[in-house]
Amino acid sequence: MQSKSSKNSAESPKDMTEYYKHLSLFWTDIIHLMSSKPQALTSIGPMRSFAANSKKISVELIEINEGLLGFNQYLTEYYKQLADVWGIAQKKVNLKSPKIPQDVEHIEAVKRIWIDIFDNDFTELFDSKKFGENYGNLVSKELELTKHWNNITNVILQSVNLPNKEEIDEVYKEIHSLKKRVSKLELEKEKRKNAK
Amino acid sequence: MQNESIIDPKIIEEILKFSKNIIEAPKLASAPDEINLEVTPHKVVQQIDKTRLLHYKPIIETKHKTPLLISYALINRYHILDIHPEKSWVRNLLEQGFEVYMLDWGTPTSMDKYLDFDDYVNGYLDSSVEYIKNQSSVEKISLQGYCTGATIATVYTALHSENVKNYIATAPVIDGWKDTTVISNLAKHMDVDKMVDTIGNMPPEFMYYCFSVLKPFEQGIEKYVKFFKNIDDKKYVDNFLRVEKWLGDTPPIPGELFKQWIKDIYQENLLIQNKMHVGGELIDLKKIDMPMFTQVAVGDHLVSPECSMPLHYAIGSNDKTLKIYPTGHVGMIASSFSQKKVLPEMGKWLAERS
Repeated sequence: MQSKSSKNSAESPKDMTEYYKHLSLFWTDIIHLMSSKPQALTSIGPMRSFAANSKKISVELIEINEGLLGFNQYLTEYYKQLADVWGIAQKKVNLKSPKIPQDVEHIEAVKRIWIDIFDNDFTELFDSKKFGENYGNLVSKELELTKHWNNITNVILQSVNLPNKEEIDEVYKEIHSLKKRVSKLELEKEKRKNAK
Repeated sequence: MQNESIIDPKIIEEILKFSKNIIEAPKLASAPDEINLEVTPHKVVQQIDKTRLLHYKPIIETKHKTPLLISYALINRYHILDIHPEKSWVRNLLEQGFEVYMLDWGTPTSMDKYLDFDDYVNGYLDSSVEYIKNQSSVEKISLQGYCTGATIATVYTALHSENVKNYIATAPVIDGWKDTTVISNLAKHMDVDKMVDTIGNMPPEFMYYCFSVLKPFEQGIEKYVKFFKNIDDKKYVDNFLRVEKWLGDTPPIPGELFKQWIKDIYQENLLIQNKMHVGGELIDLKKIDMPMFTQVAVGDHLVSPECSMPLHYAIGSNDKTLKIYPTGHVGMIASSFSQKKVLPEMGKWLAERS
């Protein structure tokens, strides 16, 4: 396993990540198993719960690293798109107004040209499919990272016996559903009252 | 030495003046936080959850029997319709003798993430309509929807046509596939399920991003340069700060509502195809059979005319008017142009039917 992973790690970043993921999980699991009994003896309450959940945190941290790779890829593309359009727009401005402005009127005219060309070119970019897709993927990756962070926070909250996000969401959903039912009942009551 | 360029002394003068304006700006202008955006006196007559129904105090004796309820957009706040005494949409309507109500959607919190179209249409908006009907002893009211508020009002009007005497749709968000704005491009590529699942409500930061991609150089740079250049112009500065304050105050949008709005309007475009469901009921735009007035702006870079106009052709009403104005999304409701052109035309149309 070691030699295969070592060999693979040299092949691609994905394999390398897999290797480190395995390595981390292996030691987390082993240490967790080795220490669970002594821990149970020596610790009580929240800290014991935290120790039991530490594996989940390790998994989330590893996945955050994986997610960061994808996030950086889309982020680089995002800035590349902006930089490319900036370059093209500036060339257009230079062509349209090659001389350095020498008086106030000329400065105003060049500024107007600059703003119009830049606004047009950037609007064209923001309106394009390639921008929309990359931006959508970038936000999606950012949300995935947030989700992992939420999951880590959930583990910490659970370890100190506080409700986590999913549990609070359940309460919100229940309140929403109850409010709807109460409104319907009130409406029904009003209708019956009016019918009498 | 002969090739040395001569700098126009006016340039130095302009730079010095601009610098002086920046230094003096805090003495001449209020901080946005100090500005009160609630211009026209009103009472809060009904409050459900975070929503408030506002009733504006009449300026002259009410001339028209049918009251008007305005369903404001979900983005930013209703203040833009009452931003300045001289540019107030609400005040103008009061001056024309209409009784005006406004539905303020409030500021949803995480607890409200499950609120959906059904809650907004059949809950908050319907409760407001029922309240006004009872208070004014009328069977039907006039309804106006602005921007995304018009999407909600359109759905309401299709579901409860028995309650609406006249319907005015101002820059309504209807046909997402035809929308040519940058916003629609972002909306079409958004993983809205993931966003709502992870964050809950649509965060204001996302809305700020959407605003920042709209004419980024005119709105992000030139606008502020003009502000400092005109710092001595009290009227200009006051108006600028009011609009800026309004632009910066974006409440979150409840997650479920946002999800349905993005999916049903921008991604799958169900509303205009009469395929959208709200509260288990199919929305059929042909059921909008009362007099209807649609207002669109040619220069609208938030909701393009192509997105709004299909509503005019999709409804069942025979008494319908479409007005296209040479202005923008905000210019149509809060400008000198709206006071001189848009409101008098709308008021005349509404007065004849109220």
